[in-house]
Amino acid sequence: MKEQIFNEEILNSLAEGVLTVDKNFKINFFNRAAEQITGYNKSEVVGQLCKHVFKCELCQLRCPIGMVLESGTDIYDHNSSIEMKAGSRKPIRLNAAILKNSNNEPVGGVISFRDLSELMKLKSSIISPTNYLGMVGHSKPMQEIFSLIQEIADCEANVLIHGESGTGKELVANAIQATSLRKDKPFLKVNCSVFPLNLLASELFGHVKGAFTDAVKDRPGRFELANGGTIFLDEVAEMPLQTQIQLLRVLQEGTFERVGESVTRKTDVRVISATNLNLKKALDENKLREDLFYRLNVIPINVPPLRERKEDIPYLVEHFIRDYSKIYKKDVRDIDDNALEVFMNYPWPGNVRELENAIEYLVVRSKNGKNISINNLPPSFRANTIVNSVEASKEIQKDNTSQLVKLLEKHHWNKTKVAEELGVGRTTLWRMMKNLSLEEKE
Amino acid sequence: MSEMLGNQYFLSRNYSKAASIFLKVYSQYPQNLSVRKKIIICFIQTGEMDKAFDFFYELVKEDIAVIINTNPVADDCPCTELVEKYGMILPYEENSKDLKLLLAMLWLYCDANKSLEYFKQLSLLNREEKKYNDVIIMIEKHLSSNKIKTN
Repeated sequence: MKEQIFNEEILNSLAEGVLTVDKNFKINFFNRAAEQITGYNKSEVVGQLCKHVFKCELCQLRCPIGMVLESGTDIYDHNSSIEMKAGSRKPIRLNAAILKNSNNEPVGGVISFRDLSELMKLKSSIISPTNYLGMVGHSKPMQEIFSLIQEIADCEANVLIHGESGTGKELVANAIQATSLRKDKPFLKVNCSVFPLNLLASELFGHVKGAFTDAVKDRPGRFELANGGTIFLDEVAEMPLQTQIQLLRVLQEGTFERVGESVTRKTDVRVISATNLNLKKALDENKLREDLFYRLNVIPINVPPLRERKEDIPYLVEHFIRDYSKIYKKDVRDIDDNALEVFMNYPWPGNVRELENAIEYLVVRSKNGKNISINNLPPSFRANTIVNSVEASKEIQKDNTSQLVKLLEKHHWNKTKVAEELGVGRTTLWRMMKNLSLEEKE
Repeated sequence: MSEMLGNQYFLSRNYSKAASIFLKVYSQYPQNLSVRKKIIICFIQTGEMDKAFDFFYELVKEDIAVIINTNPVADDCPCTELVEKYGMILPYEENSKDLKLLLAMLWLYCDANKSLEYFKQLSLLNREEKKYNDVIIMIEKHLSSNKIKTN
């Protein structure tokens, strides 16, 4: 008994909220920090089912302790949110582990959690001229997007984000949600292009047991789970026409039915959608319903491709070097001028995502305490950009010769094929070969 | 296999996975009444009515209070939502023995009197099934002893 009181005192002295559940998932311990974070008294929650009290974002889909039971691996630093006694939601970062008896059988679970709301507030207040809620942009079009997001913070209208793949549409959606009136409510994301045609409706609107072969139990859809909050529909123009009609009804009336059920349910969800398709073409080809388009496109936001905002490249490079240096625990300081010049001249067809991947590659390959140099660039990248800078080409000449020879040998010195793989014209390839003093094989 | 993982599947309404784990726990600890009580619900939900009744009958014989004292809210038992759901089908399937048996078993988790009604109907439909009569006697016995206690 004394030992138990002693242990409770230790747990009560922690700044992290700690709760334990028994094997029936009923709360049997709740420390003082957990009381402060959630607003519940210990006496109110002990004996209650954990999922009934906190309605953690994960409880709806997968219980953290259940995940540990299934996988056998503890969960660390998982971001989620829980419902407070007052009804609002709070962002938390949680750890989950299983408690076992002397026979090594699970008899309970422990969840420790930290309140992230102060941190989130701080993060959202860090809005520098070039960094807006995780989006980096100094250019005029990006600054305009940042201003627009601020302007629409108080309105609940639907937003349609348009932009090429890799331009950061999801980051724009995150920023819109984080500054909106619904920022403390659920925010769910669905990529409409990854679900088979018949499963998207079930994912969005839910299904009842037996609605189709794999429907072994009733399952709520994303629109039900996001009630009161926001949903982000990525690749919305890829949605099948039948599902577009159902979505239109949710937008117009706020009602829907689960697949296989006739009960009409209500929901109140703000829709932020995104697409990289040419919308005019999608409308002309009847792939996207016009009435749905107008409902989604109340506030249109166009995210420009990176090639149209090259002045952002140095800021993005700096941002990603900082991020990936932390991730890979490297002391990479900067990028040298030649490498940056190559970056500025590159067309970036994969946009910011491609730039991010390139920086990750460079950070991984770089040595501690050194700047990223042109020698570290991925081979295909160097070949692509070799003609853009005489100085740069001199520096990498030695390394590129062997790379280009390998490529030529791979294609049996077929210059058309090599030029194709490099993404350059035959003349450019000829010039590259000449620069590297590579003789043409007869 | 851990009972706790079975409980997790049960709470997330994944009855087929819960059933397979609970059966393994039951084979190891046949005296675990809480697991046996949940196995009945799992079998009802997976449509294995005979197996559900076998477990139900044995548990009622051993300790009927385990089922009758279920708190649907505190235990997150789906019995109330299930009786409502299956009750809506009954008018269309009024002669279905399985449906009546399912409701008879489920009602015992939430209202013993209703369960008794269904078992009486079943007993009339299947006079040769002795087990229904046994259940009726056990429910009546439990109800009357409770009446005495409250008086």
